[in-house]
Amino acid sequence: MADRPTNEEREKLLADARVGALEPQEAAELSLLADVLGDSSTWAEPRAGLEDAVVRAVADAEPTTTTSRTPPARSEARRRRRRVLASALAAAAVIATVVATVLVTRGGTSPDYEAQLRATASAPGAQASADITRNDAGFRITLDANGLPDLRSGEYYQAWLKNAAGALVPIGTFSSSDGRVTLWSGLSPKDFPTLTVTIEATDNDQTSSGRQVLVGEVRAT
Amino acid sequence: MPTQSLDACVLTHRAAGSRRTHAARPAATASVVASPRVDQAQLAAFRRGEAGGIRALYREYGRLVYSVAHRVLGRHELAEEAAQQTFVRAWQAADRIDVDRDPAPWLATIAKRTAIDVYRREARRPASALNDVAADDPALVSLPPDIDALDAVWHVRRAIDTLPRDEATIVRLQHLDGLTHNEISEELGIALGTVKSRSHRAHRKLASLLGHLREVPHG
Repeated sequence: MADRPTNEEREKLLADARVGALEPQEAAELSLLADVLGDSSTWAEPRAGLEDAVVRAVADAEPTTTTSRTPPARSEARRRRRRVLASALAAAAVIATVVATVLVTRGGTSPDYEAQLRATASAPGAQASADITRNDAGFRITLDANGLPDLRSGEYYQAWLKNAAGALVPIGTFSSSDGRVTLWSGLSPKDFPTLTVTIEATDNDQTSSGRQVLVGEVRAT
Repeated sequence: MPTQSLDACVLTHRAAGSRRTHAARPAATASVVASPRVDQAQLAAFRRGEAGGIRALYREYGRLVYSVAHRVLGRHELAEEAAQQTFVRAWQAADRIDVDRDPAPWLATIAKRTAIDVYRREARRPASALNDVAADDPALVSLPPDIDALDAVWHVRRAIDTLPRDEATIVRLQHLDGLTHNEISEELGIALGTVKSRSHRAHRKLASLLGHLREVPHG
């Protein structure tokens, strides 16, 4: 492959498309355009699964209250109404929490699948559990992990589901070594019953690195 | 006096500080690449959080959002996270959408701010040993790209997306991969003359969409 074009060469490509000689200001503007055209970010393509991930992220997001979008200058009456509304919302939140607690206690929102993940030799201090719940968007996987090894620059964790034939389905990436993350799968854990977490690097290779740090079997609850 | 496009302003701002005047920067609602393909019904569906509306907005603007995020963050997984967060924030602020107007400037603002927020969060993460950090790691850069640079990425990417695929391919091979016309001809298996004509046509369109150089008002 030839060397990357110089700025002058890229600018000439653009300048040649214009009629007449360039003024200094025009040349400067073309220089910026050439820089942007030669930047790999300008041409970067997201992976095909990002659209589904965006849909799920919005579906999973909490709506904001209108109070956060109200301009700062308000009348006293409006502030009073806001306070009443906020109080009502707070009360509703308490009620919702109580109801949710009752439902959980009774098993009303219990996950459809769960998994206990064990550490591999690459991450002897790691452990994790996962709850998997089916909804209209797919299978929501709440992974609660801790003790994962520190990532090096350019690395990230990636979770996968695997079937008996060894086919891997990526279900999300994350960077926190401790805590809870939400992942999503469009395929059922019933058919892809092994849940793994690997360490990946930003190397444009979308296949698994094989650097497993957690592995476990999913089972129906 | 001829009017100035937003893109011309963007280029002007980056290239010449002397033109950084209020008059030279119109409200960021103008765009030479108008003709949005997201209609009012789809925007309303997005506001209601319906999957069809979200997909419509993503398919029109997802690549632009991703490009801006990638420009700020430089890493695929962080760019994806920022892109997701951009659409979440857009939905959470969806009552501000004017379904009669092109949502691009509004979404671009959210995309830029979200990417910079992720950048700042990453910059606060515990640092690795310096020897383990690549020279181009974002953590080693004290400031994210400025807003004008991100504007340029957004508008150039949008202009590229309006090109026919065969023309966009040639522009990419020329500017990103550094191929000559002859090499592109061999790479794509098409005649050299075809490469030249498509290249010329594509660059004329880009110059028209993004340059408007002779229409920049002076003073």
